[in-house]
Amino acid sequence: MTSLPPLKKTLVEAVNLALAHEMRRDESVVVLGEDVATNGGVFRATEGLKDEFGIRRVMDTPLAEALIAGVAVGMASQGLKPVAEIQFMGFIFAAMEHIICHAARMRNRTRGRLSCPMVLRAPYGGGIHAPEHHSESTEALFAHIPGLRVVVPSSPARTYGLLLSAIRDPDPVIFLEPKRIYRLNKQEVIDNGEALPLDVCFTLREGKDITLVTWGAMVHEALQAADQLAQQGISVEVIDVATLKPLDMETILHSVEKTGRCVIVHEAARSNGVGAEIAAQLAEKALLWLQAPVKRIAGYDIPMPYFKYEQYYMIHVDEIIQGIEETLAYG
Amino acid sequence: MQATINNNPFSKTVAQFNIAYTQMINHLGEAVAHLDPDIANEKLLTDLYKSMVFIRLFDKKAVALQRTGKMGTYPSSLGQEAVGVGIGYAMNPNDVFAPYYRDHAALYLRGVSLADMLLYWGGDERGSLINGAPQFDLPNCVPIANQITHAAGIACAIKIRHEKNAVLTTCGDGATSRGDFYEAINLAGIWQLPMVVVVNNNQWAISVSRGIQTAAETIAQKAIAAGMPGEQVDGNDALAVYSVIKKALKKARAGKGPTLIEAITYRLGDHTTADDATRYRPPEALNKGWELEPIKRLQTFLHNNNFWGPEQERAWITQCEQNITQGVEAYLNTPDAPPEDIFDYLYAELPFAMEEQRQHLIAKARSLNANKKEEESL
Amino acid sequence: MKYFKLPDLGEGLQESEIVEWHIKPGEAIKTDQLLVSVETAKAIVEVPSPQDGIIKTLFGKPGDILHVGEPLVEFEGESQEDTGTVVGEMKSASETNSVSDDHFIIGSAHHRSAPQKRCTPAVRALAKRLNVDLAMVSASGSNGLITAEDVEKAHQMSSEKGEQFILRGVQRVMANNMTKAHAQVVQVTIHDDVDIYRWPEGTDPTMRLVRAIKAACEIEPNLNAWYDGNEMTLRPLKKIDLGIAVDTPDGLFVPILRNISQRDADDLRDGLNNLRQAVKNRKIPPSELIGGSITLSNYGTIAGRYGNPVVVPPTVAIIGAGVIKEEVVAFEGQVAIHRVLPLSLSFDHRPITGGEAGRFLKALMTDLALAE
Repeated sequence: MTSLPPLKKTLVEAVNLALAHEMRRDESVVVLGEDVATNGGVFRATEGLKDEFGIRRVMDTPLAEALIAGVAVGMASQGLKPVAEIQFMGFIFAAMEHIICHAARMRNRTRGRLSCPMVLRAPYGGGIHAPEHHSESTEALFAHIPGLRVVVPSSPARTYGLLLSAIRDPDPVIFLEPKRIYRLNKQEVIDNGEALPLDVCFTLREGKDITLVTWGAMVHEALQAADQLAQQGISVEVIDVATLKPLDMETILHSVEKTGRCVIVHEAARSNGVGAEIAAQLAEKALLWLQAPVKRIAGYDIPMPYFKYEQYYMIHVDEIIQGIEETLAYG
Repeated sequence: MQATINNNPFSKTVAQFNIAYTQMINHLGEAVAHLDPDIANEKLLTDLYKSMVFIRLFDKKAVALQRTGKMGTYPSSLGQEAVGVGIGYAMNPNDVFAPYYRDHAALYLRGVSLADMLLYWGGDERGSLINGAPQFDLPNCVPIANQITHAAGIACAIKIRHEKNAVLTTCGDGATSRGDFYEAINLAGIWQLPMVVVVNNNQWAISVSRGIQTAAETIAQKAIAAGMPGEQVDGNDALAVYSVIKKALKKARAGKGPTLIEAITYRLGDHTTADDATRYRPPEALNKGWELEPIKRLQTFLHNNNFWGPEQERAWITQCEQNITQGVEAYLNTPDAPPEDIFDYLYAELPFAMEEQRQHLIAKARSLNANKKEEESL
Repeated sequence: MKYFKLPDLGEGLQESEIVEWHIKPGEAIKTDQLLVSVETAKAIVEVPSPQDGIIKTLFGKPGDILHVGEPLVEFEGESQEDTGTVVGEMKSASETNSVSDDHFIIGSAHHRSAPQKRCTPAVRALAKRLNVDLAMVSASGSNGLITAEDVEKAHQMSSEKGEQFILRGVQRVMANNMTKAHAQVVQVTIHDDVDIYRWPEGTDPTMRLVRAIKAACEIEPNLNAWYDGNEMTLRPLKKIDLGIAVDTPDGLFVPILRNISQRDADDLRDGLNNLRQAVKNRKIPPSELIGGSITLSNYGTIAGRYGNPVVVPPTVAIIGAGVIKEEVVAFEGQVAIHRVLPLSLSFDHRPITGGEAGRFLKALMTDLALAE
């Protein structure tokens, strides 16, 4: 395997890099979705793949999300490794039947005779001034489903490593890409085919005063909050959950055992979200370490407001700082 | 249709279908059919023409607003004006319209104000209030083909209540690949619903061309499997579109069942302002699309019949621009809704459990807006 | 508007490249007239003018990359008020991109600080009400769980017997080192006195002790060494890095005076003064507190004749210097009153013999007895 010199890449370019790498390495990897071939995807995540791998492996599908998911299930059952793109997470719902009733259960239903090694990629989240249905964060719907893996990357380098793992994983992975940070930052990404582990959190900042747990685009605000608080002498441990299902509580518990305080940030609506699951497990397993109630800073329980009012919904750095200060001042 | 031909001596043909295609005024502006003077009168033809010119100018302005940061992503209807205009004139006010998201002309003719349309694409839910338009029309439907199933439900409601109106719904060619499309027309066929489905076949679903969307020779023939008539119309011929839809609606209102109409157009613009069709659309195809576009041909026809001249053209464009400027100003001067607006239409009455979040939002908005003011004054 | 800034041309695109200007500075432009073509990551986009006006400045030439919110053009004769916003927006743009996210740990960070005390929220609330610091409460529950009884007992102790406090910082370091030394080292201390009547007025005893230690180490190099009790290895050290015990209100510091055998007296004096000052100001870097090869404790500056200074592993020797006093001594067959420096030498008897220690002490005394 040849390794190329490190290049500065955006998150969406890292998606492209990982897809190309794995398609070169593994003949059974195929890409399908709306506008993924000729147009290279509406966000250019699949740009150049059709030219390199041909339309046999990079397929523009008809405009039908249920079809895309169902076809991917069929391909995967035969040992292909389809990476299907749902153009926006807001349009994934037609595909739910295939995801829940088939992808998530194929291995279990056949006692391992068949499996479903597919990846369903979908850009998600708000803050890009998009039209209706293009800005929601509904990751909890998938995290609720037994048999799925739900992975959300938060930096170009982690996107590359996690997407490789997702494709190589023998079970279905819902790979949700935070499109607000698709092009926000560039970072060195080495195209060496080295995967990052799934099912484990990443600790982005070490700290001793409080644990800040988040994922996806909110990692960006979380790090800003942590860096600002560091200047006031407050040491924040920042954990990027990365795999929402199954959840690596061990890392979070280790941290909370040390800090005794925890704030969870997610853009998705508050009620019944992934933050609720983390808080519940902290209550079950870390109660005796906690010096303050676990705080969630989350979206309101309303549909994503249309973009003129989007900033009222989105979570800002100041809110995270305030939430941390309140949690530190508790008791 | 090749599938019906079979050399097996034990087989026989049990069903055969034809797909009709209607064109009245060709791309050179010539009448190619006998024009019923009751329909093709001077007033209707100039109305169709004026509305198309108006909506094209509006479309251009909307794109400019987006390009200058004053509006969000916008799907231009450039080249497809005849479909929307035909729908707008063919429908009665008490019919129900279930649009997709590229129906600016039809919405305008249904009575939706320019300001409301711009508000919607400017990221403000109040754009779907559609003041002045029929109360039961549905808002724009962004998820593909969902509106066709809703239209089937609306048609059921009409039928159950023994009403004498009909529902008209629209979609693009891409939408006809979706389950929702097949499921809805199947129901319309079996229950003989008072429903008209107009497919704006503009040849492109973002970057996916009609040729790789479906292997069916026509989209209209998809109706056959659903047990209802399907036909094609030249979607660049406003008169033909109007006539075909008018007839289908009349039939639906009379309880004689649904119709699928495939209007053949060409998307002369990008999918939306965020798209760049030069990446995937060959320039020759676009040039050919321009040869067939709907406005020029009707202008030629009107000129040749002395229904319209350069002076009227100038006056009309000036008036359009005035109206559009007024609409844009009304849009830009619309004060922001209070922040709590994002909570207040969620339920008939806000559940008590959500009051805390609503109060949180009010405080958050106050602080955000104060920071914004502070930044602006720096 | 005075400045027209690059708008978000579609769904979160952060930057655009200028492809072509369709206007020159000084020219008039109308609303919606084509201004510039830019290429985003997704498309080539034609950007029209937002208003009528005369173009004053074009920001950037074809090929330049502009970020959303950066100015594209400046119009002539417009009011100045937007200028600040331009600055503000550009600042926030650079701020958002400044977060470093290049390094991360897979899984959890290593525990650097001690875990929190474990107790139920009810016990935590009780401790708060009784003003008991949980960190000082010893736990009687399983797995170190602090119970309500523990908190109540701690409260009772404080009110009846007096408040306690927790050792912190260097105090904790000292306590740990002493515990370790006591557990590991087999320590012997020998004592003697040096007659220093020959010292001129104003001699700095510490500087003389430093010099004498250097001389003694040359005689008995094994006392300037590290001993590994597990492997039973002794490592005589090439350099003499002398730890000097310094008492402060915060506790005991032992900064290291490096490489004393290779430095002249002035250099050593400066070095010593710098260390003392650094300790006093609490500016001593941790690197200056580790790696000593032998130690001097000059407790005589306070009080005490002989001591029992504690050898801290892995070093094997420590010299204690007591209070210099005038004493009655036998001098050349006569009774005389001389200044006398009492010495205590502790050594780790595991690797060091009594003979080695005795000769070391003798060499120390010989050097100290010199006039200069």
